[in-house]
Amino acid sequence: MRRRDFVKGLAVTTATASTALGQKAAPQAQNPPPAPNATDQGTMAVQPSAASSPKAMSRVEQMARFHTPNIPLSQPDMVALTEARYFTPARYATLVQLCDIMMPPGEDHPSAMKAGTPEFLDFYIGASPVEQQTMYNNGLDRLDADCMKQFNVPFAKADAKQADSVIRPYLKGWMNDHPPRDGHTRFINLVHHDIRTATINSPAWAIAAEASGDRSPGVGLYWTPIEPGIQTWVKEGSVEATPTPRHKHS
Amino acid sequence: MAQKKVDVLIIGSGHTGGMAAKILTGKGISCTMLDAGPMLNFEKYREMKPVNELPFRGFDAPGRLPHVFQANEFNANQWVDEKVVPYYHPPEAPYNWVRVRSVGGRSPFWARQSFRLSDYEFKCKDHDGFGENWPISLEEIAPFYSRVEEIFRVTGHKDGLPQYPDGNFVEDNSPWSGAMQRFVNAGQKLGVPVTKPRSSLGKDGLASSLNLLIPDAVATGKLTTIPNAIVRQITVDKNTGLADGAIFIDRHSHREMVIKARVIVLAAGCLESTRLLLLSDMCNSSGALGHYLSDQIYGAGIICSVPEARDGKAAPHLMGGGALIPRFRNIKTKAADFIRGYAVNVSCSNGPFEARALPFYGKELEQKLQSYNGSGFATNIMGEALGHYENHVTLNKQVVDAWGIPTLNIYTKYTSNETNMAKDYVDTMAAMAEAAGFDILVKNYEFNPPGYSIHEQGTARMSDDPKEGVVNKWNQSHDTKNLFVVDASVFVSAGWQNPTITMCTLSMRACEYLAEEMRKGNV
Repeated sequence: MRRRDFVKGLAVTTATASTALGQKAAPQAQNPPPAPNATDQGTMAVQPSAASSPKAMSRVEQMARFHTPNIPLSQPDMVALTEARYFTPARYATLVQLCDIMMPPGEDHPSAMKAGTPEFLDFYIGASPVEQQTMYNNGLDRLDADCMKQFNVPFAKADAKQADSVIRPYLKGWMNDHPPRDGHTRFINLVHHDIRTATINSPAWAIAAEASGDRSPGVGLYWTPIEPGIQTWVKEGSVEATPTPRHKHS
Repeated sequence: MAQKKVDVLIIGSGHTGGMAAKILTGKGISCTMLDAGPMLNFEKYREMKPVNELPFRGFDAPGRLPHVFQANEFNANQWVDEKVVPYYHPPEAPYNWVRVRSVGGRSPFWARQSFRLSDYEFKCKDHDGFGENWPISLEEIAPFYSRVEEIFRVTGHKDGLPQYPDGNFVEDNSPWSGAMQRFVNAGQKLGVPVTKPRSSLGKDGLASSLNLLIPDAVATGKLTTIPNAIVRQITVDKNTGLADGAIFIDRHSHREMVIKARVIVLAAGCLESTRLLLLSDMCNSSGALGHYLSDQIYGAGIICSVPEARDGKAAPHLMGGGALIPRFRNIKTKAADFIRGYAVNVSCSNGPFEARALPFYGKELEQKLQSYNGSGFATNIMGEALGHYENHVTLNKQVVDAWGIPTLNIYTKYTSNETNMAKDYVDTMAAMAEAAGFDILVKNYEFNPPGYSIHEQGTARMSDDPKEGVVNKWNQSHDTKNLFVVDASVFVSAGWQNPTITMCTLSMRACEYLAEEMRKGNV
């Protein structure tokens, strides 16, 4: 049953495509009358079984045998930068400095800066629930305020020793799902975790890992949305969630 | 096509629905099985993919699954989105309802720990006075446990402990690693048994209803399976008072359909089954429906490093392996400030060390990670949460799901019993780790919100007394004799054990009873 639907769908696609191509190749001054036995797009839409003519079926079967061509694809990060626009300039400068300090380059892996982590976190936190945004905004402000108070320089301009003195007191070991509860301690440990995750999972890291001999960096079993995902159907479905009022039928 | 009355309508296709289908069709009874979700196509919907190619670098879409701590960007699409099927909990009493809607239910995704309950669970009230006893004993259901263990190919070691009943195992006689042996020895001095884990091997990489149960039912030619069928009501014949079918909604089109059945087997998963009974306004003469919700506390634990394994100096067989500490509190002695008990998952890793356990950053952290690589040792709790009457669910008619069906309010919270239990656990594990010579890096007393373990149980509990429970000891509704509830909603107490093997055992037993009753004409 499902295969038959699939074949019918292909038939519609094929007819649409060929019609469009035909129009492009030979524009008409006026619409010609349909050729006898031709299956136009409208007919296909309302009567998919029209594709069962031997010629149409042959075309459909040919289409069904077609395999996806192997075209190498690239990540957008290879050629473009994420535009940072959520954090204020001061907070963003603090975040950049934090990324630089917390995840410098290693022997065989890139830095958070090279991985585009500040830009990614600006995008990600900008799209996150307000609690997450508040934690980041307060945490970045607090880092800056602590640095100003102790050294009279903003965190973004602090040297490594100055930065360390406002970060280290708040670092704690913690278990999955249970970061420290205290506000600023929580921020320092979570932002550290986020910076590491965003960097290690970046395209730049994958390229470096592959170059150093790791053939499958960060590979996991990914589930795609299923048929085509419950939310999509609900959002795009034309039928209202609330059932139609019931009438009595004889 | 003409509507026909089916013999048995099974609602839900997870482990318990799958078991019902296998048993009933094996007895020659025709079954129709509905599932609210789609059929999984493992070739089509899964692929190995590098994390850097995912849109959110592994974080998943912001705010998408706030209650599913288990979610990541790889598996996010397998969980139910709470914007589609919402539920309510008071802000101060969070509940993590972790759901899957697809044929096979949660069975393709479980962790496979496979345990029997003991009479410390079945006769819990006799032991400590809290709650109610189950109307069954281990002796009664042991033969069914054995058959389920054979189907699931449970591996384990026979330890002869009454609180950790032995089973029909694929014997595990593997030796302990050196570090694990030190932990075992430390436990012996404190009276804490450290045993081999028990888990389902299944076959072909899965231990789900999809591959272990449903195929047998399909082979009989007597199973009809319908995906994307969201049941919104079980219908009742006004003349007989018996269930006579169900109304379901097609997930895609929202088309409403009516199906007629002689018998209903409800296996939608603990809270969904109870939701459906509440929606159908049935099976609640006891007033117990929706109450006594329980599960297990997870999340508290310790993280250690084995010093001799650091800097790449681990001797052969020093590291690796896992263990299970079965409940040991309140067996022969009595703990001061909590009843019941907890079990512990123990893991000894020769892989990368967890960065979050080390309070360092930058190059210093990288050096530490290199040094600590292959030296990890951690424990996690599985503690019984008490099923108080006040832990309950109700229908929320003001908030409906995407198909217009009223949703659930979930009111539950842990008490000092769980808090004291977690404290005892962390302190005991820390003492054992210290005695074994491990460096303790993290001690976490905090546990996850209710629901996190994905072991929700109760809300339609079994009892011999129709005034105390929703179903009898055969999982048969006291009020509606042709309705059987076969999932964990019938559990009377949670125990510390992963409930899956017990759920399957009870479903098997209930369906054999049902088949015999149908043969006799009693149902």
